[in-house]
Amino acid sequence: MELMTLNLKQGLVIIKTAWMRNLNYRFTVIMYRVGEIAEILALILMWTTIYATGAGTIKGFTLNEMITYVLFGNFCGVIVRNFLPAYISRDINEGRLSMFLVKPIHYIRFIFFNELGRAALAFVVSVSSQLLVILFFLNKFVLNAEPAYLALIVVMIILAFLTEWLIGFLIGSIAFWTDEVDGIQTTVDRVKRFFSGGYFPLSLLPLPLAVASTYLPFAYSFFMPAQLYLKKIDLHAGLMGIGIQILWVIILSVILNVVWKQGLKRYEASGS
Amino acid sequence: MSAIEVKNLGKRYEFYKKQAGLLGTLKAFFHRKMLYTDAVDDISFDIEEGEIVGFLGPNGAGKTTTLKMLSGILYPTSGQMRVLGFNPADRQKSFKKQFGIVMGQKDQLARLLTPMDNFALFKEFYEIPDSDFKQMVDELVDLLGIREILDVQVKKLSLGQRMKCELVGALLHNPKVLFLDEPTIGLDVVAQKNIRDFIKKYNRTKKTTIMLTSHYMDDIKELCERVIIINFGKIIYDGKLSKLISTYATDKVVRITSKDPIEKSALEPFGVVEEHENIRAAIRVPRESVKKVAAQLISSNLPIEDILIDEMPVDDIIRVIFQEQKKEQGGQELHP
Repeated sequence: MELMTLNLKQGLVIIKTAWMRNLNYRFTVIMYRVGEIAEILALILMWTTIYATGAGTIKGFTLNEMITYVLFGNFCGVIVRNFLPAYISRDINEGRLSMFLVKPIHYIRFIFFNELGRAALAFVVSVSSQLLVILFFLNKFVLNAEPAYLALIVVMIILAFLTEWLIGFLIGSIAFWTDEVDGIQTTVDRVKRFFSGGYFPLSLLPLPLAVASTYLPFAYSFFMPAQLYLKKIDLHAGLMGIGIQILWVIILSVILNVVWKQGLKRYEASGS
Repeated sequence: MSAIEVKNLGKRYEFYKKQAGLLGTLKAFFHRKMLYTDAVDDISFDIEEGEIVGFLGPNGAGKTTTLKMLSGILYPTSGQMRVLGFNPADRQKSFKKQFGIVMGQKDQLARLLTPMDNFALFKEFYEIPDSDFKQMVDELVDLLGIREILDVQVKKLSLGQRMKCELVGALLHNPKVLFLDEPTIGLDVVAQKNIRDFIKKYNRTKKTTIMLTSHYMDDIKELCERVIIINFGKIIYDGKLSKLISTYATDKVVRITSKDPIEKSALEPFGVVEEHENIRAAIRVPRESVKKVAAQLISSNLPIEDILIDEMPVDDIIRVIFQEQKKEQGGQELHP
């Protein structure tokens, strides 16, 4: 398949170009961090207040663990996040997709590398800002430097990036059928945030719901890597999670393939 | 071998008609009447290698739809097409590497990047070897005189500069066929001429087959020997531009210069006064009576100094053709 042929140089140039493009958004990049940090601080403040009422642990989380959960989870969340729905839907609605259809490069392939480039840049910036916040709370931050755990976390994050990428692409593809995807995107974002554990650790949920959430792909962008880091789950459970992630990547790839082909057919029929 | 072969090509768009207002919207929600329009309706033509063909027609005539089908963006509903021996709808990579397209109303260059960065990206898309790429950029950049803007963000460029860069982007891979959809749209007269001169020179040296649509007759007159005129999705003329004039120009234009200004009303008995300005005037006269009218003008007691007999401007001829068509069609363009 054309999509799979590996042309590393092509990929690298697309990544490099994505960097150049995104470095133009200096202001946006910085302002995003401000919002991120504010949210993290708000969460930490909230948990500190809750724990101050006298609870030593909440469902096995000490205050420091909870703060670490917020800090580490957000760190992962930032890496795997993407803006694909807006991007893809704009390309479809404004007909910019046409410009890719006439060029000897597959759109999905281009977007993949482009997003990898953007994410890499966001990664560098976020990592620096997150590390700053972590440094600030260092005396409360639980440290875990065990290579096996860290390795598993890295794999989990890479797969979560792929999953989020596929979901983002799929939501963007809805633009083939309707003019706006904002509504569904916002809804999915909220569901995602909830089931990723972004608001609170999923282990605080009633057990069936907590278990169910580990079978959804979202938990692996925030909750699961943070749990691994905090050693709340063991390596075996981590590996299981990676298995689930791989399944999701396969399922979503197949769906994307079908949706994209159908969408293109529609696009070719009507044009933009 | 023809570079482009089109046979009985058609494209039908389906759409729903909805009554205005909330009630109409509600009705349409439950029951929609499917309507269709033939944007391109059974057209056939061949274009030889190295030809520049002007594709003319009013808005919505089907020009862009045709170019989109020929470049593989749209699937045709009926008919066959071949570009360089390929079926564009298959969108083979080897086909894509051999043609270029510029759409005046759609930018292909990323606005936040400089033209040079954009070109470097295209180089990877088309897998152009380093040496070819450098040579090509040099050549095109010099030809268009845009060296000094290569490192300026695209969004900061003027429309004319951007269009020049768009052209470079579309030509880097040395395409054999080039589709230009309104390449001079929105440009000032000087920029239009620059682009036109470039296309002319490029075609002459590279022998690229070019299909061009434009609203500006100057583009067509300067560049295309052959024109295809399309209206309501059908070809209404395909042939030499010069022949179009002799076939359809039923009138000629008599241009007069006088010693003193002449009243418009004094000229009106001779024909339709099209221009009237101080000591110059232009009168449209049926072809067969042009000699008679010229003689009458000279023998009249008007203070005429000079008489010149001209062909009707191409714009007017085409306008006449379209107007006649409209009458025949009864303005049915929206109805299936």
